[in-house]
Amino acid sequence: MKMSFVCPGCSCLCDDIEIVDGKILHACRRGEEIFGKYKENRAKPMVKGKEVDVDSAIEEATEALKDSENIAIYGMDTTTVEAQQHGIELAEKLNAYIDDNSSFCLGEFVEAILRKELPTTTLEDVRDRAYVMVYWGANPFHSLSRHMSRYSYYPRGAKRPRGYEEDRFLVVVDVRRSETSKLAKKNAMFIQVSDDDELVDSFFKVVDGKAAKYAKEAGIILNGMKKSDLNVIFGGLGLKYGLKDLGKFVEMVKKLNEVAPVYFIPAGFHGNMRGFNETLFEKVGYVNKYSFRDGKSGGEFAFTELLKNEKIDTALIVGTDPVYSLPFEVSSKLGKIKTIVVDPRMSFTARIADVVIPSAVSGVEAGGTMVRSDGVRVKLEPLEEREVNDVYILNKIKEGL
Amino acid sequence: MMRFSKFLKVEADIVVARYALVMDETKSKTEPVIFLHPEFAKRSGVKESDVVEVEANGRVVKLKVKLSESAPESGGIIPNGIYASYLTNFDGFKKFKASIEVSEGEPTSVDGIIGQLKT
Amino acid sequence: MALNPMDIYKLLPKTNCKKCGEATCMSFAFKLLNRERRLEECIPLYEDKKYERQRKKLEEMLKPLEEATETGLIVDESLCTGCGNCVVVCPVHVEKDPKGAAVGKGITIDDPILRVEDGAVKVINMQACRRYGKNRVLCVVCRENCPTDAIRFLEG
Ligand code: SF4
Ligand code: SF4
Ligand code: SF4
Ligand code: SF4
Repeated sequence: MKMSFVCPGCSCLCDDIEIVDGKILHACRRGEEIFGKYKENRAKPMVKGKEVDVDSAIEEATEALKDSENIAIYGMDTTTVEAQQHGIELAEKLNAYIDDNSSFCLGEFVEAILRKELPTTTLEDVRDRAYVMVYWGANPFHSLSRHMSRYSYYPRGAKRPRGYEEDRFLVVVDVRRSETSKLAKKNAMFIQVSDDDELVDSFFKVVDGKAAKYAKEAGIILNGMKKSDLNVIFGGLGLKYGLKDLGKFVEMVKKLNEVAPVYFIPAGFHGNMRGFNETLFEKVGYVNKYSFRDGKSGGEFAFTELLKNEKIDTALIVGTDPVYSLPFEVSSKLGKIKTIVVDPRMSFTARIADVVIPSAVSGVEAGGTMVRSDGVRVKLEPLEEREVNDVYILNKIKEGL
Repeated sequence: MMRFSKFLKVEADIVVARYALVMDETKSKTEPVIFLHPEFAKRSGVKESDVVEVEANGRVVKLKVKLSESAPESGGIIPNGIYASYLTNFDGFKKFKASIEVSEGEPTSVDGIIGQLKT
Repeated sequence: MALNPMDIYKLLPKTNCKKCGEATCMSFAFKLLNRERRLEECIPLYEDKKYERQRKKLEEMLKPLEEATETGLIVDESLCTGCGNCVVVCPVHVEKDPKGAAVGKGITIDDPILRVEDGAVKVINMQACRRYGKNRVLCVVCRENCPTDAIRFLEG
């Protein structure tokens, strides 16, 4: 029996990774980095730049949290649902703010899905049944490398036995000629937009038979959609930042559904970002930027806003790297507050943190559950167990309070 | 040196995007690179593997030039990561305007940026 | 450089001696191009000193073809993200691996043409490629679905 692993590298959570004779099979380049290099650049337990033992680092973090008035817990998009639950409980206990990358990524799309405003489906159904598939503001070739070969355009599905050759219609919408747009050849269309809202508007008008800027394109797409019992829009960051108003997009999907079945799946990135959204949603009814003190979610509680407006004195950052990924005007504020980093790696943020607690790489050294971009839950079995993982650390801090 | 005298600061549209070929999952480094559209580079007198100064929002980084057809025709792509983050503001997080000019010397080091964060 | 059988024929002994097992030098030339015959099988070309200059020319001429026989398909790993498009679209894989590559999963057969290993595609078994051997066809499916030209073919 060959053993296969789940790759935690992105929200595709590919479950077919094999390791044979030291070779990592089927994982894309990002997945290979995770399985092949997980021993590199590991974090060391540190307090104020000095190396200590893990327990002292956890203790130091606990004390710092006890002493703080305004705390934000941030990240957890690459850890397991089980660890996320601990993180959320910890935030509750501390009366803290909690947020993750999804607040400037695809969180609002996931929220619309969980509130049942956007109809959704699974990637298996896409593979087996989808005809029209629209990648809107997403370039999966780089962000979700195996998305198209694993789940959407290329595989043969139960009701789509000829795959991309005849049984699919690919639409790519982007502001630039992305790699993915180059794959839109036969049975396909590339729409180079300068303003995404104009295309949204065109779909509205075409359903009503009116003239519009992209009437021709929208008309062809709509006719294709009518032929199938399942069509899908994959929305990426380009869509999120291209839209002035998410509400209008949601209305557009509803409008399309008057004439053809169209579903939405976020083409988001981090391995378990959707898991964070769902776990928080189950607990408090919101997907991100939540304040336990105020009992609600709001733009002002986004980690970036809290930092910018100097609303917090301590940040507990788990498995994400804001110095790497957030604008300088935001990340530069991290130097002014107390930062505690829980991460398997000596990340950029760890290099400026007051306390660093080294953890396990989820999916490689710690098992658990993650949620794929379409909401399907996937169980991860580790290659090897590492005792000090996110669950252990967050739980220990919680108990120490 | 002829090239420098001819060279002007040019305005460029920058897209920030994931770029699987230069990523680093171990979080130890990022490649200081900007992918310019070949046409844009030609118009602007920039060649592959030149070092350019990219300025946006009052901050400057030096990056090495690579050419890519998938870059926007009026500028380039900076891969997600510390260099892009350093230049952006929150309201132009994934797409912003920058000025580009050919420069000399080495690309900006990660430590140089991190150094500015520590207070 | 595109090779054609006429250019090859001109440099052969043109005696139709049949030692290679072909009826004519012309048909030997065709088979050389199709990679069904190797130049060494033309015995006079190697035994008779007077053909030496022609032989050397032919060897030079056929070199790209020889390399192509082994690795007709070239992968530039620095451009490959391991997206798997090429593995999943290959018609040979679709036929031989209906439960694996055909439905998008990592290929399950032991001797696939292509397989993603350590984050980039590797050529495992060129012989199974439709561009190889006797009934070869000019398949370009894998190359066409690679958005970065990480896959190329020696002869177009
Ligand atoms: S596509 Fe995502 S989940 Fe699949 S192997 Fe690549 S990084 Fe891992
Ligand atoms: S052995 Fe050489 S010379 Fe003789 S028929 Fe074949 S190709 Fe011609
Ligand atoms: S050329 Fe055709 S048969 Fe050969 S590997 Fe590519 S897709 Fe498969
Ligand atoms: S060669 Fe091209 S299509 Fe094949 S895995 Fe690499 S990038 Fe993808």
